Amino acid sequence: MMEYKNVLTVCPYCGCGCNFYLQVFDGELIGILPCKSHVVSQGKLCIKGWNATDFVVSKDRLTTPLIKKDGKFVEISWDKALNIVSEKFRKYSSDAVTVLSSAKCTNEENYLMMKFARAVLKTNSVDHCARLCHASTVVGLGKTFGSGAMTNSIGELENADCIFVIGSNTTEQHPLIARYIMRAKEKGAKLIVADPRLIPLTQFADYHLRQRPGTDVALLNGFMNVILNEGLEDKEFINKRTEGFEEVKEVVEKYNPEDVEKITDIPKELIIEAARIYAKAKSASIVYSMGITQHTTGVDNVVSCANLAMITGNVGRPSTGVNPLRGQSNVQGACDMGALPDVYSGYQSVSDENVRAKFKKIWNTELPLKTGLTIIEMINEAAKGNIKAMYIMGENPMLSDPDINHVKKALENLEFLVVQDMFLTETAQLADIILPAASYAEKDGTLTATDRRVQRIRKAIEPIGESKPDWQIICELARKMGTQGFEYSSPAEIMEEIALVTPIYGGIVYERIKVIGLQWPCPSKEHPGTPYLHKEKFSRGKGKFFGIEFKEAAELPDADYPFILTTGRIIFHYHTGTMTRRTEALNREVPIGYMEINFEDAKKLNIVDGEKVLVKSRRGEIEIKVLETGRVPEGVVFLPFHFAESPANALTNSAFDPVAKIPEYKVCAVRVEKKQKDITKI
Amino acid sequence: MFEPKILGFCCNWCAYAGADLAGINRNQYPPNIRIIRVMCSGTIDPLYIMKAFQKGTDGVFIGGCHIGDCHYQNGNHRAKKRVAVVKKILSYLGIDPRRVRLEWVSAAEGQKFAQVMNDFVAEIKRLGPNPLKKRFKA
Amino acid sequence: MIKKVQELAKEYFVNEKVDVIFGLREKNNHVAPHIFKKVEELDNLVVSPKYPLLYNCRPSKKNIIRLIEEKYPNIKIGVIAKGCDKRALIELAKREQIDMKNIEILGVACSREEAIECRCPRPYPNNLLIGEKVEGVFEDKSVEDLLNKSLSERLAFWQYQLSKCIKCYGCRNACPLCFCQDCAMEQEEWSKTGEIPPEIPMFQFIRFYHLADRCIECGECEKACPMDIPLLTISKQVRRDVKELFNYESGLDIKQKSPLLTTLDETPMKEGVNK
Repeated sequence: MMEYKNVLTVCPYCGCGCNFYLQVFDGELIGILPCKSHVVSQGKLCIKGWNATDFVVSKDRLTTPLIKKDGKFVEISWDKALNIVSEKFRKYSSDAVTVLSSAKCTNEENYLMMKFARAVLKTNSVDHCARLCHASTVVGLGKTFGSGAMTNSIGELENADCIFVIGSNTTEQHPLIARYIMRAKEKGAKLIVADPRLIPLTQFADYHLRQRPGTDVALLNGFMNVILNEGLEDKEFINKRTEGFEEVKEVVEKYNPEDVEKITDIPKELIIEAARIYAKAKSASIVYSMGITQHTTGVDNVVSCANLAMITGNVGRPSTGVNPLRGQSNVQGACDMGALPDVYSGYQSVSDENVRAKFKKIWNTELPLKTGLTIIEMINEAAKGNIKAMYIMGENPMLSDPDINHVKKALENLEFLVVQDMFLTETAQLADIILPAASYAEKDGTLTATDRRVQRIRKAIEPIGESKPDWQIICELARKMGTQGFEYSSPAEIMEEIALVTPIYGGIVYERIKVIGLQWPCPSKEHPGTPYLHKEKFSRGKGKFFGIEFKEAAELPDADYPFILTTGRIIFHYHTGTMTRRTEALNREVPIGYMEINFEDAKKLNIVDGEKVLVKSRRGEIEIKVLETGRVPEGVVFLPFHFAESPANALTNSAFDPVAKIPEYKVCAVRVEKKQKDITKI
Repeated sequence: MFEPKILGFCCNWCAYAGADLAGINRNQYPPNIRIIRVMCSGTIDPLYIMKAFQKGTDGVFIGGCHIGDCHYQNGNHRAKKRVAVVKKILSYLGIDPRRVRLEWVSAAEGQKFAQVMNDFVAEIKRLGPNPLKKRFKA
Repeated sequence: MIKKVQELAKEYFVNEKVDVIFGLREKNNHVAPHIFKKVEELDNLVVSPKYPLLYNCRPSKKNIIRLIEEKYPNIKIGVIAKGCDKRALIELAKREQIDMKNIEILGVACSREEAIECRCPRPYPNNLLIGEKVEGVFEDKSVEDLLNKSLSERLAFWQYQLSKCIKCYGCRNACPLCFCQDCAMEQEEWSKTGEIPPEIPMFQFIRFYHLADRCIECGECEKACPMDIPLLTISKQVRRDVKELFNYESGLDIKQKSPLLTTLDETPMKEGVNK
């Protein structure tokens, strides 16, 4: 007899956290129906969400464990695979093994992965792709506010009087958040957009500030200079709720609009007017994303945003705040669960003795003390031969890390690489053992969206082939290695343990998560969740100002490499394309990669629209199709990084922010050359 | 001086032959029209009309056989109905429906073809250039 | 009223008039379409808030009833149909997308508040079994505003509204009548792929034109649009024009063929309606 069900789940793509129903008919996924009662998505989805079933049933799904024999992958059984992995891991000392957890996996799986790294492998070197996107946020907002997450909720943007979007192509990256920005605009809010490119939001913006890539600190200091000069700061807020104001005042006094214009290329009148609008608004929100974080000055950029919000008293009230838009469906959760080298779950430091004692007791095992390595450091050490083995779950550093030629050498240099993934990604190609993992439609768990909303994904179909949910794989592997404490029968049980050790998740229980989810901090079972942070006091008590001086990006254009390359995303594809390039509707929209170049630059180089050119940097070169457009300013080229055959990260610079260790994806120097015609092939 | 660009879809059996006849008889008409020959006015997908405007054409002319004379019996019936609906939608989108003209011109009506063209070009000149040409750019 | 609907559905089940019931179910405070196979499940049957029952699942582009009919050809399906559901069923049956012979319609009327929210002209199906017929909504503010604007004002309005489009295809995915395997909106020939906003107004024109004889004014397109583009306004007015030009109203009579598929003798056109 027929079986039909609608399974409410969370979209596996971006951090908006939209909900939809997976329709299952006789055990097969037949379609997607948006959820009208969800507080953020309200029955609407973007093109990726509407097509989120294609990749689940793709023929490319890995269905059995694989082992590399003589350069080819051969199928083996789960038992054999896990035995080999556990034996190998036992061989290596804890300094020689590192773990990459996944921002696409559930909270439970991230918790288990960091527990595995710390309790089984005895290393704190566990990291994930937040390092590459919002590490600066975690550090920067942690320094200034005490908590490194989005301060307000997505829906509150609709009621802001002024929204300042800097370094975020919201319409393409977080379409359902752009919806609220547009609604605010239609209600009369003022929209200020700061981006070197012409993005879809700029046509609706009241002010478009086109800064030179990498000059955000100067721009933000310029704003604060105008605000202080015209007496528009919120003196009461500064006195009562913050400390360190003198320090920031001294620094921003030097950034008058004329000087800022020289640094950023933005006309000073625009800077002055935009700053006035932001300061005079009753509720003003700052929205930012990769354009602020992915720089060698990423932490400085984030701190400057926080400074700006605090100077105008725009924190701790609805529709205000500093709102970093997290990219992945669960990158917030992966950070919250402590899949980071310096903290346990809930941002409890590994070097704090009390914290360590607590975890030692609950996990009943010795735990390492030394702070672990971050992704960039892991790759560098692997290249040198100090790291001998890696366990990578749901990440594709071969396309997403900067300077991928270096990454390839590093991963090839490893003695043992285990990759746990759904598809044979570029990283999996280099593995010794591949473990097939289940997709979001095949397991239970929770994901945390960018506005700290913990929501449930629910199992709709059985795992394809012999693939297993990641939490099951980690538990079986831990048991094979002889460790206690990994005998969970369901993700709900894992969440019970998480709630026990993680104060901000203290009240998260599966039965409480209905359609709207629960926003942390949620310390107890009666607590309803927290829509906006820092209401009466900041997480660290008083907000702290820091005076930040402007520093240029690490690699500026010069005579040999005259263009600035900035990388980014487009709405139709997602990150390294492992899921979206296996989706028919999305491939039809954008089948291959392209590079945006300004009309004038194209004319000077004598290249035409659609022509294939060579793009070279000090790290590598790629061949790519050109798109002539006015969207990028002269002297800048833009590459989406989703395309494996012309990977933008073959060119990018692995220089990173000294504290957050986040690479500078947004600025490096490249050269564009016309392809020489091969005259022998006429 | 604004010189309109007009795209004309003329059916092979009647309107195109009529245009040809106008040429043979030296019935003068303005050079603003570019004619595309189709087998029947009923083969014209209405999306072509909108596409023409999207590309910047100032006017679209559709020429077919008189009702009852269609080489394929009732292809021109389709054309008439479709053009009526298209004109309505264009008017709601803000494009003047007078920029689309449907006329029945038989193979013997060379004079009529020239007259219709003169009239239509004058009308488009009065209406001005295609307003979509000045659209917002992202 | 919901009790009456549940009782009627149970009665149909018990008397074996139907094998399954297709309607909305409430579970854990949220509402979604469901196929009820057991009498007990019908305690959770609801009729609001409105959900599209007949939208076409991707990638197969078939609606749920068609999928059931293809796999289980002899099952009798009872559909809890509101006015818009019934109109969709009729239009789909006209185009041979579903077979009405195994479908039993349990017609349910909407309340006046629901009609106002959906701006529905006919908030009840013809074979109404439960509920009172309420008057539909004929005056529509957004349509009137549009008609009161001059041509250049209309153009400016749509240039703004349509430039918000993010090409999610939600309008097409939520539409019960958009079942084409090769959708014209996806073809490169009509509008360039891979950019947002797409070529406007061409991209949306494709839908407005293709639905001229099919739109049933259910409003799901507008509800599925993340950017709040008032798509229903044009489709509503075009449906009224089609009624005026051809005396044809979609979704009422299964035997009435679409006017765009017939000759002028079969479906004459009223002259002088065009400006």
